[in-house]
Amino acid sequence: MNMASVQSTATSVPTPVSTSTAVSGANYPEKVSVRNLNFYYGQNKALKNVNVSLYAGMVTAFIGPSGCGKSTLLRILNRIYDLYPHQRAEGEVLIDNANILSPGQDLNYLRARVGMVFQKPTPFPMSIYENIAFGIRLYERLPKSELDGRVESALRRGALWEEVKNKLSANGLSLSGGQQQRLCIARTVAVRPEVILLDEPCSALDPISTAKIEELIDELKNDYTIAIVTHNMQQAARVSDYTAFMYLGELVEFDATSKIFTSPVDPRTQDYITGRFG
Amino acid sequence: MTTAGRRPVVDMALPSSGAALPLSEERSKVLSRLRGGDAIFRHVTRAAAISVLLILGGVIFSLIQGAAPALRAFGLTFFVQESWNPVTERFGALAPIYGTIITSLIAMLIAVPFGLLITLFLTELSPLWLRRPIGIAIELLAGIPSIIYGIWGLFVFAPFLQQHVQPFMIDLFNCVPLISTFQGSCVAAPGLSLLFAGPPYGIGMLTAGLILAIMVLPFVTSISRDVFEAVPPVLKEAAYGVGCTTWEVVRYVVLPYSRVGVIGGIMLGLGRALGETMAVTFVIGNAHRISTSLFAPATTISATIANEFTEAIGDLYTSSLIALGLILFMITFIVLAIARYMLLRMERRIG
Amino acid sequence: MFDLYKSRRRRNTVVLGLSIAATAIGLSWLAAILGTLLWEGFSGLSLQVFTEMTPPPGSNGGLLNPIIGSLILTGLAVAVGTPIGILAGTYMAEYGRYQKLTMLIRFINDILLSAPSIVIGLFVYEVMVAPMGHFSGYAGAVALALLVIPVVVRTTEDMLALVPKELREAASALGMPRSKVIQKVSYRAARAGMITGVLLAVARISGETAPLLFTALNNQFFSTNLNAPVASLPVVIFQFALSPYPDWQRLAWIGALIITLAVLALSIIARALTAAPSRG
Repeated sequence: MNMASVQSTATSVPTPVSTSTAVSGANYPEKVSVRNLNFYYGQNKALKNVNVSLYAGMVTAFIGPSGCGKSTLLRILNRIYDLYPHQRAEGEVLIDNANILSPGQDLNYLRARVGMVFQKPTPFPMSIYENIAFGIRLYERLPKSELDGRVESALRRGALWEEVKNKLSANGLSLSGGQQQRLCIARTVAVRPEVILLDEPCSALDPISTAKIEELIDELKNDYTIAIVTHNMQQAARVSDYTAFMYLGELVEFDATSKIFTSPVDPRTQDYITGRFG
Repeated sequence: MTTAGRRPVVDMALPSSGAALPLSEERSKVLSRLRGGDAIFRHVTRAAAISVLLILGGVIFSLIQGAAPALRAFGLTFFVQESWNPVTERFGALAPIYGTIITSLIAMLIAVPFGLLITLFLTELSPLWLRRPIGIAIELLAGIPSIIYGIWGLFVFAPFLQQHVQPFMIDLFNCVPLISTFQGSCVAAPGLSLLFAGPPYGIGMLTAGLILAIMVLPFVTSISRDVFEAVPPVLKEAAYGVGCTTWEVVRYVVLPYSRVGVIGGIMLGLGRALGETMAVTFVIGNAHRISTSLFAPATTISATIANEFTEAIGDLYTSSLIALGLILFMITFIVLAIARYMLLRMERRIG
Repeated sequence: MFDLYKSRRRRNTVVLGLSIAATAIGLSWLAAILGTLLWEGFSGLSLQVFTEMTPPPGSNGGLLNPIIGSLILTGLAVAVGTPIGILAGTYMAEYGRYQKLTMLIRFINDILLSAPSIVIGLFVYEVMVAPMGHFSGYAGAVALALLVIPVVVRTTEDMLALVPKELREAASALGMPRSKVIQKVSYRAARAGMITGVLLAVARISGETAPLLFTALNNQFFSTNLNAPVASLPVVIFQFALSPYPDWQRLAWIGALIITLAVLALSIIARALTAAPSRG
């Protein structure tokens, strides 16, 4: 399996999509690669032969109109769809060259490596401290002082520490919407994943919280591979290095963000970006 | 800000491909430990859920087993024999079955209109601030244990009926100034005179039926209330908009829409009335007799079992009582199954 | 045309008038029952009731043994029935949410919920008392437990189903195995409702007489031996009320008052728990 051949995989669209090497060279390895992925809700085919890659240390945005399958795709990457009986995936999703769709894959282990932040902030009904410690305690037995340190570092990574350091025992639900979402990000980071999936993380938040979270994403990408689904194109342009445009369950175009937004190849991408539909 | 514990993203390898880093190994160990407990929890909860089915199965099975001797001895005549004689060991279930059905019928005939009228009041007429207290009051009625109804019935209600209501009704329908000083005209209806004949004991089928009615009332009211409130307001507004009166809106829009749910609630109440023991035992009179008069003492299945089971000697006696229990269970099972089915349909409609 | 309108108006007024009357009558029943209860029960209420055993007819006494007996039987029934009920409800709401088996269990459970309690008593008689050869407190507790289980199953399932799925997904997304998600997140979120379910179950069995009639039977003396008949408040009330002795009847009223107050208190607490917003 060599990187070059993987990087030039064509998609199902007539004009092959080139993955440009414009962004800091093509030296970034592929962390996640999706091959020939099909997904079904019951009898309904929601994803059709999707091929895409997430590069390590990069932010990849998925854009497209409602119902195009971008959230569906994200939810396959940590196999959270497995919680529901009538949903199934066919194809391959390789993380570090191992197929996570294989039946032998340990799901809990996978989810420890691939974290997810949801659209609606979901703090657990516990204190702020407990929300963070919850995930840590699952995998490690730490003395209190070390646990405190981990909680603090997670909250700092989530850009929340300064605001909550004096009220760690307050209930997570008592925070504002933007703070709750940053709590969820901190909680995800505390478990030390390698990939972070963000499913429209700012759609329920006000502009100021949104800006804070976008700053956060920019910092986090140094250490994690990030995929973000957003229906806000400007946000995609702001935060991502690579962008994938999806439409009606297909991956239409995938390229460096700068290229997608200035000179997209596919006419559908062009139409969406210029606002002719969506 | 420590960088310990955060390794460069690129070289996180899976165990199979060589260099497994301590982090991943640690984590696999923890997760495989948790996996065992995960499976156990799943199986334990599943077993508990299946035990519900086992309880039902067990009840049916043991009732059938216990009733078998009596059913074998009497066969189908068990259902149509009136006599109940522990001495000669001839047992017939007709009197208890009759009593159960009649008392429940009386209860429903009274509780349904009353319950629906109260629901009408609560949903359409009553001012908002009154709704909650009245709703709570109705729920209180449901929460009072049945034995309380029993002793209240025995010590308060029955004497009341005996002294004030029954003599009046007997005279009214029998046209003979026998007991009360009622001097008015009377209603000469032959059927009714049979129905309300006999000495005013106070206790009897009618009394038991009335007490049951009070007990069933909250069920009918609360379920009807839920389904009435689930009617989409636009439907009601459309009817009002055409000029319907409140009653007409209820009769032509609300009731038809919620009909299934209301019937479900009624069946639920019926199920409760059929199986009710303590309230009925106190006021039914416990006579294994079928009479046409509602004032006469009678018995129901549950009252019979409650009164006689601990003193029953002889296997046939005990077995006959258990056979009665089986009959009761079958009847209530069918009624409750229909009720739940109707409520399920209603829920599916509301969505 | 106007006549038609007038008759419609009239009909409407009549029906609405009837509905007010029905409500008033219904409420007056409640008042009559509670009123009598308070009147008859309070007049005899004294410390003696709680400290002395049930007397033979004609002498003074109290309700100590039935009260203690009821507390023990109820406690045991709840201890046995609640775990089974919660576990079953958990399976139905979490693991088996979309299965046909769950639908069947829910249906059967709802029927058991309203089944005549005397039949449950017969079942336990057949299964425990007859083989054991004697009545016992254990049998009584089992009969009550069988009444607790359907209530707890229903409320647990309903409350767990209310937990938003995003919360579960968020916990799963951290790598938490299913059982831990349920135990640490779902239970926590549904805690108030589940406790309410247990309280409602307790309220229900507090007044149940029929299932105890031929399982735990009755006991004139104070005894904590569960392997023998145990006195309970409802059964004592049953016995005393139907007797011809006035002082026994008086004790029956007092016992009835005690049970009703306990049930009311439990209902109020249960209501308060679900009304107050849960803060973590």
